[in-house]
Order: sequence, then C-alpha cells, then structure tokens
Amino acid sequence: MSAEKRIIDAETLLKPYAVGACSRTPVGVEAVIKREDLPAAVKALVDGRWGYLSAITGLDHPWPKAAKPAQKPGEAPVEPTGPTEDRLEALYQFVSGPVVATLRVSVAYHDATVPTICSVIPSATLYERELQEMFGIVVEGTPETRRLLLPDDWPEHVYPLRKAFKGLP
Amino acid sequence: MDTQQDTRKTFVVPIGPQHPALKEPGHFEITVDGEIVTAATVRLGYVHRGIEKGVEGQNWAQAMYMLERICGICSHVHATAYALGVEALAGVQVPPRAQAIRVLVAELERVHSHLLWLGVAAHEGGFDTLFMYSWRDRELIMDVLEGLTGNRVNYSCNVLGGVKFDVDQKQADAIRSAIDFLEPRTHHYMKVVTTDETLIGRTRHVGTLNGAEAERLGAVGPVARASGVPRDIRVDAPYAGYPTFPVNTVTATAGDLEAKFIVRLEELFESYRVIREILEHLPPGDLSVRVKPRVPAGETVSRVEAPRGELLYYLRSAGGPTPDRVKVRTPSLCNWGTVLATAAGHKLADVPMLIAGIDPCFSCNDRLVTITRRGASDTWTWARLRQYGIEYYR
Repeated sequence: MSAEKRIIDAETLLKPYAVGACSRTPVGVEAVIKREDLPAAVKALVDGRWGYLSAITGLDHPWPKAAKPAQKPGEAPVEPTGPTEDRLEALYQFVSGPVVATLRVSVAYHDATVPTICSVIPSATLYERELQEMFGIVVEGTPETRRLLLPDDWPEHVYPLRKAFKGLP
Repeated sequence: MDTQQDTRKTFVVPIGPQHPALKEPGHFEITVDGEIVTAATVRLGYVHRGIEKGVEGQNWAQAMYMLERICGICSHVHATAYALGVEALAGVQVPPRAQAIRVLVAELERVHSHLLWLGVAAHEGGFDTLFMYSWRDRELIMDVLEGLTGNRVNYSCNVLGGVKFDVDQKQADAIRSAIDFLEPRTHHYMKVVTTDETLIGRTRHVGTLNGAEAERLGAVGPVARASGVPRDIRVDAPYAGYPTFPVNTVTATAGDLEAKFIVRLEELFESYRVIREILEHLPPGDLSVRVKPRVPAGETVSRVEAPRGELLYYLRSAGGPTPDRVKVRTPSLCNWGTVLATAAGHKLADVPMLIAGIDPCFSCNDRLVTITRRGASDTWTWARLRQYGIEYYR
C-alpha cells in the first residue's frame, strides 16, 4: 500500500472527529481532536485496521513566554493570537508503514484530564501512566495508576517534564 | 470447607527490583495459584535518569551524546534516530557514504545485540554453555566495533549531518573475517536451539503469542515478527542507507519462545549479508555536511529499527539552539504488554524465560541524570559531570 493511500485512509477515518481539517506533516498527517472525541477517534483507527499506536507524547506549552508576541518599540502592543493560558498537549502517534498519524489533544493546566483509550487499546496503559507522571495530565479511567517510572518518594503534583520544573529543592 | 477455600487463595510473588534472573533492575508482581501464574504487573523506573528532561538544557549537538547513553547495548540507533530527526528539521541532505556507514554500524550493533540476547536467554534457560559460546563469539564484533569507532559500547559514530569516521580497507577486511567466522557459528546455534531437547523443553510452546494478540498488544521488532507480524522499520519506512541496501523481513509463525530464537538468529544472517554488501559497495563521497547550531522551528517523528524493535523519537524545535522537546519511545516499553499478557497460565519457573524472551532493556524504557549520593546529598550538575569526564580522560 502506498504512503499516499495510507494518508488518505487516515484522513477519511479521522475526519468525523477532527476539529477543522486534517493537516499534512512531513511524516504523515495530523488531526486536532477534542478530548471527549478521543476514544471514538482512536476506535475509528483501530476498527479501520489503520496501523498501531506507537507512542503517546506529552508537550508543555506554558504561557505567556512562548505565545506572547513581541512588542516593537513605538508601536501599540500586539494582541496575542494563540492560546492565552498555560496548556498541555498529548500527541497520540499512530503509525502505518512509513506514515505517522498524530491525534493532538490539548488541555488547560487547570483542567488537565483526558479520557483513557485502554478500552480500545489495552496496552496503552504504560504510555498513559508515563504521560500522567511526567506531565500531570490525569488519564481518567486508566486501569492502573500506581507509579510506573518515578521513585516512590517523589513528591505529589511535581511533574518533571513540565517546563517549570527545574529540579527538586 | 474453609481449608478448601484457603488452598484456592492466590499468592503474590514479588520479584525484584534486584534479582538474580536479570542484570538490570525491574520489579514484577507475579500472582500465582500454586505453581501457575494468574496475573503479572511490572514496575519500572529504577534506572530512570531523566534524559528527556536533561537534553532540553543541552544544545542540539550535545543532546545526541546524552541520548546515545540511554542504552548501553543499542547506543547507535538512539543517536541515529535523533540525528535523522534533527537533519529532517534542519533540511540537510546527508551524504550517501555517511548513510551507508550508519547502516553498517547499526547492523554490527544488531549482531552484537542478538548474540548477547542469545547468551542471556540461554542462561535463563539453564544452558550456560551456549551462553559462554555466544558471548565469546560476540567479543569478535565488539573488537570490530572498537577498531572501527574506538569504543566498545557508546560508539559515537554519528555527528549531526553525517558520521565521524571512514572505513578503510584494513577495517573492512577485519569486519569480513569476523563475519566469515560468525556465519558458520550462527548455523551451529540455529541447530542447537532447534534440536537440543533441554532447551526446546523450555522454549517450544512456551509464551505463545499469536499474530492477532501481538498486533493488539502493539508488539514490535523480533517479538512481533516471531508471531508472524511483519513489522520492521528498515523495510516499512527505510531510513539512512536502507533504501540503497535493503533488508528482508524475517518472520516466523509459531509465536513461542523458540520462534523468538529462530527469528533473531535468522536476522543475524540477514545482517551478515547486508554488512558484506555495504563493504562491497560503499558509496564514495563526503562523510558529513554542516548543520547549523540553530535548528528551524518545527516538529518531526523519526523512527528506526533497533535490535529490539521500533524506536520512535519525537523532536520539537522552537527555532533555538536547544531542543524544545525530545520524546523517546523505546521498543522494550511496547513489548512489556506481551510478557504481562502471556505470563498467565504459565508456570512461575517460566517467567524469567518469558521476560528474557522480549530482550528487555530497562535502561531504555527508564531514562535521569542527577547523581545523588544519599547521606552526603551530593547532586552533580551537568557541568560538573562534564568537567569530571574531561579530567578523568586527560
């Protein structure tokens, strides 16, 4: 099967759930998914026998440092165009042959939860636990919530892969 | 009636983190009913070094040397996956000779890794003679790698934009003669693992994972291929020099431990063939191109086939001199699910073999970088660690 066919298949499967259109990336295709649609979108890929879940990647987008537009001297301040709050993002990376299909789910710091996809892909639990420990994105309904990677005496609510984390005191 | 109920109670056997079965720390809780395993869980992180966080403070070139240290067995694939990702973001074309040398080292690394695994798996099966022979033979590859790169473990072959060294005639001859020795040895090992009664007793129909299960659990690499699932990134999405020097996917259908032996040994022959072919047809040209210290903003996914299966790197650049995010998903993490799922129904004594069957690499799925000495509470900074290294080798 050609890479192009795989991309088109992924676009067709993800279209009902994508916010806006699916966009092409150098390695495949990506779609922004609302978190409540995530299990259904994952199920669409799995039922459509489109590749397999290869990784769940967490990202931290703190605001305002990253999104604040630069103000040029003598000009009015530029209104920010991007998100104006601290956000976290989870990328669900599916692969099929050479193509990577990424589902992007974005959540705010103060409401950092995503639903589990373990009902569709049971083996995702290890990835979800990693996401939970490293970024503090609570994965609701994941079957196991004990520590997977961090030490037992690691403090609660300290998430080492967030940008604000600079080491334990 | 009470006694009968008591005898049916299950019992949890904690194994690890330090245990005699493997040389790396991991903690397993095996629920047993008598001798038979009913459930298994895993706790990782004992060698978590925080490398993903650590590289965010390094520049693009330094980060590669840290990432290379994620694994002591397959260090080269980590550096390769990272370098390919950075080169994609930077939009540079790596010369074909460099890409071929990357594949050459990757295949030598696969040979040493599979021979190492053969020894470990034989040892878990109580067959220490096979362990000693395979590790003796593996030394040949280690010597070749040392002769080629100067290092036995962290070969440090890659630079961003290419490789560091060339392969001369003398080195090519040394590699050929090592392969010429190893090929008949591998045929011998194949005969041993498929005919030796005691080893077959530990491997045949043990830990059987059918193709559908392997797919459902997201298995990768030799574990998936032993169950007939043809997942091999070298073939599915050829990278570096693999488009020029293609490999054939090796699969088996049985899905048991024996099939995992057969697949890995068959892959050795495939590696020998590719290594010879590269030495024969090494493209001429430069070894590297320049990559600017600032990498344009963007994100990419880079996938390579490590000896243990698909290794995925996600790289994100904010346009600065340091990576914004590097995510590493190693093959061992994918394959844990298959151990936990297949353990149920087996004897407790089979568990070490089942764990060894996926060729787990704890350092890979764990990843940290502070050295804390408890009591003295001495935390080393990266700069101090680096200075220590410089002084040590001065």
